[in-house]
This record gives sequence, C-alpha cells and structure tokens, in this order.
Amino acid sequence: MSVTIEIPSVFGRYSDNKLSFEVEAQTVGEALHELGKQSPGLKQLLLDKEGNLMHSYDVYINEESAYPETMTKPVKDGDKLNIVMIIYGG
Amino acid sequence: MLTEKEKEKYDRQMMIYGFGEEGQEKLKKAKVFIAGAGGLGSPVSIYLAAAGIGTLRIADHDKVELSNLNRQILHYEENLGGRKIDSAAAKLHKLNPDIKIETIADTITEANASRLVGDSDLIVDAMDNLPTRYILNQTAIAKGIPFFHGAVYAFEGRAMTVIPGKTACLNCLYHNVEVPKVKFPVIGVTPAVIGCIQATEVIKYLTGLGELLTNRILNYDALRMKFTEFIIKPDPDCEHCGKPPARRTK
Repeated sequence: MSVTIEIPSVFGRYSDNKLSFEVEAQTVGEALHELGKQSPGLKQLLLDKEGNLMHSYDVYINEESAYPETMTKPVKDGDKLNIVMIIYGG
Repeated sequence: MLTEKEKEKYDRQMMIYGFGEEGQEKLKKAKVFIAGAGGLGSPVSIYLAAAGIGTLRIADHDKVELSNLNRQILHYEENLGGRKIDSAAAKLHKLNPDIKIETIADTITEANASRLVGDSDLIVDAMDNLPTRYILNQTAIAKGIPFFHGAVYAFEGRAMTVIPGKTACLNCLYHNVEVPKVKFPVIGVTPAVIGCIQATEVIKYLTGLGELLTNRILNYDALRMKFTEFIIKPDPDCEHCGKPPARRTK
C-alpha cells in the first residue's frame, strides 16, 4: 500500500526541507517507521525508544484523526497522512 | 439602540448582507472574555474593539517585556515593565472609547476561572500554555458558552470553535495530552492571522452569520502558505465534554 505522508514546514529542518514522503505500509505505525528509514531526523523527532509515536504529535488519515490506537490504524493505497504537532503558543 | 455616532462608525460593516443594525446591536450587547493579551490576544482584542463589541473583559497576569514586542502589537516600548492589561486597555480605549474594557490581572486557575469569566457570553482562548487552555475549555463547557481556540508556533497556527453540547471540544482534539511549556519560536504575522480568524469566528457567532469552524480544526502553514482542515469528532468518552461514565448508555 503506497501512502503519502505530509509533515509541517517547521519539521523541514529535520528532513533536509523535504515535506512530503511516499511510503509502503499497511498501518500508520508501519508508515511512520518507513518514514523514519527515509529520514532519521524525523524518526528521532517523532518516535520514542519503543518506536511509538511521541504524545506531542497526532496523525490524520485523509483529514480524519487516527486517534486512539494511532499506530495500528490501517491505511490503504492512496491514503494521505498528515503529522501534526500539538502546539499551545499564544 | 445604536447612537448616531455608532451608526456612522460601523456603517461599512452594517452594509454587509445579513449584518445590519441588528447585528451591530448584538455586538454592542456582547461581553467577550479574552484570556491573554499577548500575541493572539492583541489582534483578537483590537479587531473586536474596532468592530464594536460592547464589553471586552481581558485577563493577563504578565508584564510587558522587550521580547514580546515582535508580535504583541498592543504593547509598545514605552510600556516595558508595565502590566499588559493596562497597556492593552489604554490602546483599546483610544481605538474605541465607546466600548467598555474590563481588566483582570489575576492568573487564571481552576479555582478562579469561573469567577473571572463571570457573565461573559463567550471565551476567547489566547493563552500561551496548554493547562490553562484546558481549564478555560472546561469552564466554557460548565457555563455552556462558546470557546474560541487559537494557537501558534513559528510560522504555523491553528484555530477551532467549540459550541458546548453540540461540537467537539479542545480535549476531544488533544485528549488530555500534556506537553511541557517551553519558550517557543514565533513571528508576529502568525498570531496576527490566527487571532483574526478567532475574532472573525466571534463576530460570526454573535451576529449569527455564516458557518462556524466547529468539528474541524483549521491548520495554517505559512511557509507553504496553505490552510488545511482536519475533522475533529466529538469524543463520547471525553473527560471534558463527554457523558459521565454512569450516564453512558453503552
């Protein structure tokens, strides 16, 4: 299953300014680990030592939240994932 | 009733289809609680004051620092060291002397939030930390009044409107997540955009115009110059707005 992952522009510093990725995956978790293989900087940013998504981030599948059990949510060919950082600044 | 001066001052917005004198009177009668007089609170309060909201009740416990001035456009160098609420009230009074400005210098806490919000018609979330945002979200739900969320980071921002009992709330979005408060990067144009969206939502709500930014969060990525919407569904198990466990039917 080929899915697209878009990351916020502010993450560009961790990915040599690449903001969109194509990965092969059947779940959100697989997609994020494939993303981590393409970009070690993003892996370090997004995933903890156990390989889980850090709690400061949310994932949306085709604009719908993947929460809860984000990592095991299935994805299908052509899906678009957005990684969103929880922000609180004012 | 609008005065002749007010009719002239607000003429251009009353010309908007569906707005009219009736819409302006709704703004005049409204009391809006604005939590924060910083990066978001500045554009929110400036545009709500200019639009003729009858009472702005602004809460902020901070003093003006030099590093605030790249984005907190209610405050000038002459205000350094002074209370933000005093600086804000002085500017807003000059902008629109026909509205009432109430100021609160207290820190918003779980214990005092309900009293500070008082009989305001709605809450604008212009805070700089997640715990206080959660407190205000719960206060809005308890009072049954709308909550207008906005947040920024660097060149990115987002906004969402909450109508208690009808739409997803801030905790449906962030599901009790706590992140440590750290100094965050931001440039003034980002809260300017998000604050204006929040103010727009407030005006739409009060006048009954348009479609509110509910059950979706609007994400603004300025470096791409792109707005994206994400769907946020009300969470029946939400600790803020969901049904208490004993009352859940399943």
